[in-house]
Amino acid sequence: MSAIELRNINKVYGNSFHALHDLSFDIRDGEFMVFVGPSGCGKSTALRMIAGLESITSGELRIGGRFVNDVDPKDRDIAMVFQSYALYPHKTVRENIAFPLQMAGLPKTEIASRVDEAARTLELTTLLDRRPALLSGGQRQRVAMGRAIVRKPAAFLMDEPLSNLDAKLRVQMRAEIASIQRKLNVTTIYVTHDQVEAMTMGDRVAVMKGGVLQQVDTPQNLYNRPDNVFVAAFIGSPSMNLYEAVLNGRTLTLGSNSFEIPERVFEYRPSLNGASNRQVIVGVRPEHMNDATIRPSSAEISAPVTLVEALGSESMVHLNIDAPWVDAGDPDTVVDIGDERAAVARFSPKSTVRAGDIARVAVDAEELHFFEPVTRTSIW
Amino acid sequence: MRRARRFNINGILVNAAALVLVLSYALPYVYLLMTSIKPAADVQQIPPSFLPAVVSLDNFREVLQSSALPKAFASSLAVAVLTTVLSLAVAVPAAYVATQYRRRITTLFLLFALVTRMVPSVSLGVPLFQLLKSLGLLDTIPGLVLAHTSAAVPLALLLMSAFFEGVPKELEEAARMDGCTRFQAFRKIILPVMIGGIAVTALFTFITSWNEFLYALLLTSEATKTAPIVIAEYNSVYGLAWGAMTAAAVLYSLPVIVVTLALQRQIVGGLTFGAVKG
Repeated sequence: MSAIELRNINKVYGNSFHALHDLSFDIRDGEFMVFVGPSGCGKSTALRMIAGLESITSGELRIGGRFVNDVDPKDRDIAMVFQSYALYPHKTVRENIAFPLQMAGLPKTEIASRVDEAARTLELTTLLDRRPALLSGGQRQRVAMGRAIVRKPAAFLMDEPLSNLDAKLRVQMRAEIASIQRKLNVTTIYVTHDQVEAMTMGDRVAVMKGGVLQQVDTPQNLYNRPDNVFVAAFIGSPSMNLYEAVLNGRTLTLGSNSFEIPERVFEYRPSLNGASNRQVIVGVRPEHMNDATIRPSSAEISAPVTLVEALGSESMVHLNIDAPWVDAGDPDTVVDIGDERAAVARFSPKSTVRAGDIARVAVDAEELHFFEPVTRTSIW
Repeated sequence: MRRARRFNINGILVNAAALVLVLSYALPYVYLLMTSIKPAADVQQIPPSFLPAVVSLDNFREVLQSSALPKAFASSLAVAVLTTVLSLAVAVPAAYVATQYRRRITTLFLLFALVTRMVPSVSLGVPLFQLLKSLGLLDTIPGLVLAHTSAAVPLALLLMSAFFEGVPKELEEAARMDGCTRFQAFRKIILPVMIGGIAVTALFTFITSWNEFLYALLLTSEATKTAPIVIAEYNSVYGLAWGAMTAAAVLYSLPVIVVTLALQRQIVGGLTFGAVKG
């Protein structure tokens, strides 16, 4: 058993900076858990605390049921892959992979067979006698993985292991890491700031912001049922479009546009019922906004087009919606070209809208998300 | 074509300037070398000649047959080796901790090391004399080793700190995750990675002690006199043995020159090691 339990974990540095606030959740045995969030959200700090490389100010950490708050990293039976790979430059690939086994005092014959096995798994067999300086980025990353898997530890910790690779190799390694993890079935915590990595690799994803856990859930649930405005905007690319709106009965007023919300929405969000001039934050994902001339809808708005990015399979249409724009609080948000308040819609490639047009936009009103303007939590 | 020719002229000018610089560095040593192979009669001729009329090894024979110089060489070697070992034993771990576990106090510690390098040796001579006298270590190898170490440790500390600045913290962390204690991580991973930097620091520390004159003059007499003192004594109230002095100086400089030439790649590599993080 190698489940990892975090209970009210706090990290306060010497300068009084409170990096992690009451972090509590369980990582199940064999689960692939991803910590994701913008820069400075505390995801790497949390990982390093689990590794034993950072002290825990308060709270309880258990690995496989054992209380490990004050246990040395070497005695936690966990392996870690670093962002910089941290390969030992004076050792060959073989010696790098063998090092943790030597430290564990395993017999030479067993070390040799386990190194060979790891090398075969990671296709490193022909590189075993090379030094890290002679390897490419992708090969170094594999060696770092080899050093982790050869130990057969209780858990793998990975701190942005793909961030130094180019985009193509990243996609390839992403699939390989996920496949190795499934094959070995070892509890894994993977830290990334890339939400695509998080969504494609994790069994569950923990979204963090400012040292506070926002939501832990499956990628599908995070996307479809975000707990708050931050998660709604952080998960998904392009981000969910968020605006202040007014709900009166079944009518939603978004700037100068108004449309009816279908009855079904009130069935699964009962607390929206009976609203009278209720201020809400409304969220709509880009794929739920279409060209009304191609896919008409009863919920329609019109908005000036500021930019069209034709990607072949779809067109990203930037719209200037005249409702108050909502900042989701992601410090890494890239300001949209031209206007940070522009909404992005994912139109069919058949759409003929051009920058400067006033587009008729069909909104899939059943897929709208609603949040409280003050608490910014989801309204159900 | 014109462009290529202009480039060549530039190249010649740069090489000529480099040659002038090298000659200005090397001239005193070349003059020492030339004087050491002149016959005794030619050494003090007026006007002096740069090149020897006849090559003679008499000066070398004379210094090697004297009892004082070989003994002084042995003292110098013992003091320099022990100073190097002791300085590195103190400075390498201290520099690692000061750079990798940075706190306000470690910054002050390195600053203090820098300040002690700025203090003139002569001002420390008297307190060192008093200290070693009270410890009964005057005119002993351990006494001179301690004195030289006090001067060499700040240098070694500053050099090693610069080298350690270039070592990523993750290297130690990876070793700890792989089953090492902090000390094992330092011994099995960090030290082998730093071997080039340690070699450079060892060489500079060795040279500092090997060439040291003032403390040796103040703190030793007959028993542990080092070679620089014996070489200086060729100029005495009884006369100036110029030829023997230059021969002894050449012999004394040879080990350092040979080692430096042999390690020149590591030295240049080591000196720029911390400049750019890989």
